[in-house]
Amino acid sequence: MESAFEFAPAIALFPLAAFVIALLFGRQLPKRGALVGIVATGASLVFSLWAALAVATVGSHREPLFEWAVGEPTSETGVEGIEFTFGILLDPLSTLMLVIVSLIALLVHVFSLGYMNAEGETGLPRYYAELGLFTFSMLAFVFADNLLMAFIFFELVGLCSYLLIGFWFRTESAPSAAKKAFLVTRFGDYFFLLGVVAIAATFGTLGFAGEGSFVEAAGEAIDAGESLFGVDPELWVTITGLLVLGGVIGKSAQFPLHTWLPDAMEGPTTVSALIHAATMVAAGVYLVARMFGYYALSPTALAVIAFVGAFTALFAATMGVVKDDIKQVLAYSTISQYGYMMLGLGVGGYVAGVFHLMNHAFFKALLFLGAGSVIVLAHHKQDMWEMGGLKSKAPVTYYTFLAGALALAGIIPFSGFWSKDEILYDALIVGIEQPVFLLAYAMALLAVFFTGFYTFRMVFLTFHGEPRSDAVRDPHPVGLSIKLPLVVLGVLAVVAGVANLAPVAKLTGLEITFLEGWLEGGIGEASYLAYSGAVFEGAEAVYATGVIGTESTTVLVAAGVSLLLAFSGAGAAWRLYGVPEPVRHTESLGGAYRLLRANYYQDEYQVWLASGFTLPLARAADRFDQGVIDGVVNGVSSVSLFGSGRLKRLQTGIVTNYAALLVLGFLALLVALGVHGGWFL
Amino acid sequence: MMIETLLAVTFVGAFATFLAPDRVAGKLAFLISLVPVALSLVMFGAFDGSGNALLEGTLAFESRAEWITVGEYTISWFVGLDGISLPLVVLTTILTTLAIVSSWTPIDERESQFYGLMLFIEANLIGVFVALDFFLWFIFWEAVLIPMYLLIGVWGGPRRKYAAIKFFVYTNVASLVMFGAFIALVFGLGDAVGSFALPEIADATLDGGPDGLFGLDGASLLSVVFVAMFLGFAVKVPIVPFHTWLPDAHVEAPTPASVLLAGVLLKMGTYALLRFNFTMFPSEVLAQFAIPIAAIAVISVIYGAMLALAQTDLKRIVAYSSVSSMGYVILGLIAYTQFGVGGATFQMVSHGLISGLMFMAVGVVYNATHTRMVTDISGLADRMPIAVGILIAGAFGYMGLPLMSGFAAEYFIFFGAFGSPSLPYAPLFTALAMFGIVVVAGYLLFALQRTVFGPYRLETDYEVGRAPIHDVAPMFVLLGLIVALGVAPELIFEMIRDAVTPVIENGGEL
Repeated sequence: MESAFEFAPAIALFPLAAFVIALLFGRQLPKRGALVGIVATGASLVFSLWAALAVATVGSHREPLFEWAVGEPTSETGVEGIEFTFGILLDPLSTLMLVIVSLIALLVHVFSLGYMNAEGETGLPRYYAELGLFTFSMLAFVFADNLLMAFIFFELVGLCSYLLIGFWFRTESAPSAAKKAFLVTRFGDYFFLLGVVAIAATFGTLGFAGEGSFVEAAGEAIDAGESLFGVDPELWVTITGLLVLGGVIGKSAQFPLHTWLPDAMEGPTTVSALIHAATMVAAGVYLVARMFGYYALSPTALAVIAFVGAFTALFAATMGVVKDDIKQVLAYSTISQYGYMMLGLGVGGYVAGVFHLMNHAFFKALLFLGAGSVIVLAHHKQDMWEMGGLKSKAPVTYYTFLAGALALAGIIPFSGFWSKDEILYDALIVGIEQPVFLLAYAMALLAVFFTGFYTFRMVFLTFHGEPRSDAVRDPHPVGLSIKLPLVVLGVLAVVAGVANLAPVAKLTGLEITFLEGWLEGGIGEASYLAYSGAVFEGAEAVYATGVIGTESTTVLVAAGVSLLLAFSGAGAAWRLYGVPEPVRHTESLGGAYRLLRANYYQDEYQVWLASGFTLPLARAADRFDQGVIDGVVNGVSSVSLFGSGRLKRLQTGIVTNYAALLVLGFLALLVALGVHGGWFL
Repeated sequence: MMIETLLAVTFVGAFATFLAPDRVAGKLAFLISLVPVALSLVMFGAFDGSGNALLEGTLAFESRAEWITVGEYTISWFVGLDGISLPLVVLTTILTTLAIVSSWTPIDERESQFYGLMLFIEANLIGVFVALDFFLWFIFWEAVLIPMYLLIGVWGGPRRKYAAIKFFVYTNVASLVMFGAFIALVFGLGDAVGSFALPEIADATLDGGPDGLFGLDGASLLSVVFVAMFLGFAVKVPIVPFHTWLPDAHVEAPTPASVLLAGVLLKMGTYALLRFNFTMFPSEVLAQFAIPIAAIAVISVIYGAMLALAQTDLKRIVAYSSVSSMGYVILGLIAYTQFGVGGATFQMVSHGLISGLMFMAVGVVYNATHTRMVTDISGLADRMPIAVGILIAGAFGYMGLPLMSGFAAEYFIFFGAFGSPSLPYAPLFTALAMFGIVVVAGYLLFALQRTVFGPYRLETDYEVGRAPIHDVAPMFVLLGLIVALGVAPELIFEMIRDAVTPVIENGGEL
């Protein structure tokens, strides 16, 4: 089984090879590189499963592969040498994620055959090459064993989304959206890089886990109580942890850096599926899970994560309510769902957060690919008001989409219910002891209602009622390559919850929390607070937790409340939109509608910051530079050369004069030197 | 004799090209320039030096002969290489060859003179990096100016005269300030030195220091000389506020000259700063000026980037971003740690490659469209996909995309600066300078969005087709080097680290 570890780098290298092949030979290849991508991601999936199996049997594995740079740090904790390396860390968390990423990437490749190749699209080799690079970057990010390597591939993930969002570069909107995505996430990555540098300079190591990891070093520093960079060690851990979190907020589209994500819908729908389910956006939350041991050292940092997440979950869900474009609804649902994961991790629910990351990957990929199928069916219409009645005409798309919608809305027994419920439960039990977290819980709970509402508003508008345009009266057929990924993901969206039926386990005492058991086999440093408040590093929990009455009643109350809200949301959508001729109800909200349609004016202020503030500032700096600084230079030169007349005379001299001047000056200096040295005496 | 051979081949090649007929000059210069490339690569492979050239390190390919004796001072032919200078020599030879190839399309008059000057400038640039005697070094240093002045003044754009003179006078005045200051230092050292060999002067300055001169005591003299030399080199780098010659020179210079100007000439300034200011002076002197220099570094980074943001001429954008990138070098130097100074040196090489690539890419765009204005072009990716692909790659390199050399350089500098024990408020300075990575992404992505993406539109009357192979090939070479150094920075960082470590150890804890 250990041989799986030797081959583990290949998990990422297969898609890299696909990138190179598609880039160089894409034009000559059948399907313009799609098949290469399918083979490569398929191989990645197989090797990922193999690696997971090896982790299950042999345990976690960490191995440095390549020395990037070494040297002597100037570290606060007095480490002697620092090595920046590339290495792989295969543990339950990373292998789980490897499987998810390679599976989604494979399905997206297959779906692309029907979605991109069938449309007479140009630039397909570029598309498949970039898809390969994207998958490579994400997989390498996932198995990175240190923070610098994670940053490196985190950035490459950002590059690939830039390229893919801007795939249709001949339009005005796609390049603009791509630029925005890269810039906004770069702003977050600025803090991330600062965090990486700070952690490296503090502890002299960037390893995530095992011997000499920065998590371990930070724990020791806190225990020893030595001040770091002149501040209390726990505060320093909080500061550096929050700096890294900047990158997470950017990539995972958390408030206030979420604005790029809805615009990113300019990319092909397949790309949206990949970005939202398994790569770009997932990278942020995965990083929090990866560094969970570090965040667990700082309750403050965790609380920030929890509140950012809870607020984003609610904030984005409300915006999703008024969108007309099917992809826009899904975009806001993504922001909201990642907020849930952040909340889960922030309240110490490591398993819950990772569980939701997994379930979300399946049902969000499903919903996006389903939306892609709908877009094909509707002859490239995306406005849900021009759809309707697709239920009978496209049953495969409908039923799989419905499965995804039920999972997203958190309806029992679909996968999303189990993980979302677990997150809410963790927030609740923490909130009972520390009431401030009840606010986060309340926000997340309220978001459940909106989620139910916008999800089923989307389902009813798209599939139910009468067709509202000619496009959907005569839908374009979809092929097997589109249906197959939908079915696979549909099944997963229904059953993935079985991985961790925590409430059932609690009520019945059965040992069926498989995911929790899987993640507990971690490499040690990434210990975590599990569902019911397990322990960190065998010591005390991050947070104290409480129950309402008994644990069983708490479980039932938490699940009951969230289900009730989800059903009310879905029911409200059914009442309003589940009719043959739905009308626009949200507009009657008046000012609130306008606020939501304008996305709380988040774009406005960010665009103002860029083009209303920074750009004029830059122009002012330019005027200052041309006028004052260069003015002084020109002024000095014209004074010293007695005006422009002399300057002109200098110009006529051509180079020989200058050479002569140079030589003369040089000789003069030599003479001066000689005089000083007593040469002529 | 390796270094002498290298210099001789290049000088002789330059004269041969001068005399060659115009029609073959370009090809001839290319073939000749391959020899220095090969020689420098051989030296890179056979490099056996260790330590720092000025601080009792073992020099590679050392040769030394007395040349002139002026009074009590000896001027010698003294050349050699260490881990700092060798990468810069290799950069120079490779970049010159590529710049020569990239000239084939745009240069169509007085070719033999043009290519001769390119080789002449190469020879002098190599001389700057190999010379270890101050006078010898200064001759090469000044001699670089003449060919560059001519390249801008003869083959440049509409305001070439103004730009060339500004370049020449500005940097020459700065050189004189520096020269005077250094001579003052040597005189101040009195009997402790008997030659202009840099190691000897470094040793004397660090060990005991000058006695004083013109009524200044030793410590004050050191400070004055440090500042004067810093200012002298600051113009060359250039550091804000001495940077205004640079955009003018770049905009008017023909593209291949811009490649060398940004790629190597700017590194003369940073190289000299490292060799003189940051190696020869005791750490107490550096400590005095740590905060102002770090502040200047931060200002150069942010202010340079802001200026780039305001430009609409592609060449001006790249020119101002050079100011920004050089600010990182200064930050790394003043951090005075292994990664800081090493990263600064790495950045010299990396920026040489990346800015060279960017200027070439802009040149290819200009060759095809005859405009460089962002407002005149749109959707170029539709017409020249390969050239534009490289332009995009180069832009991301400039932004410090990981696995390209720029990231390695910036990361080393940031890491080295953040934990600097000698620079007060080091984390704060690092954080401020680092914000440049956001602004650089802003202006480059903005420029890309407007010029290469969107629907195709061109305001000039030219048919845009695919770029010829000899325009694109040099850019591929550069891209390959950029990625290679980004993936495996140890290729050169190992020898750089070896050469900068004595600098830090010599200065010790500030």
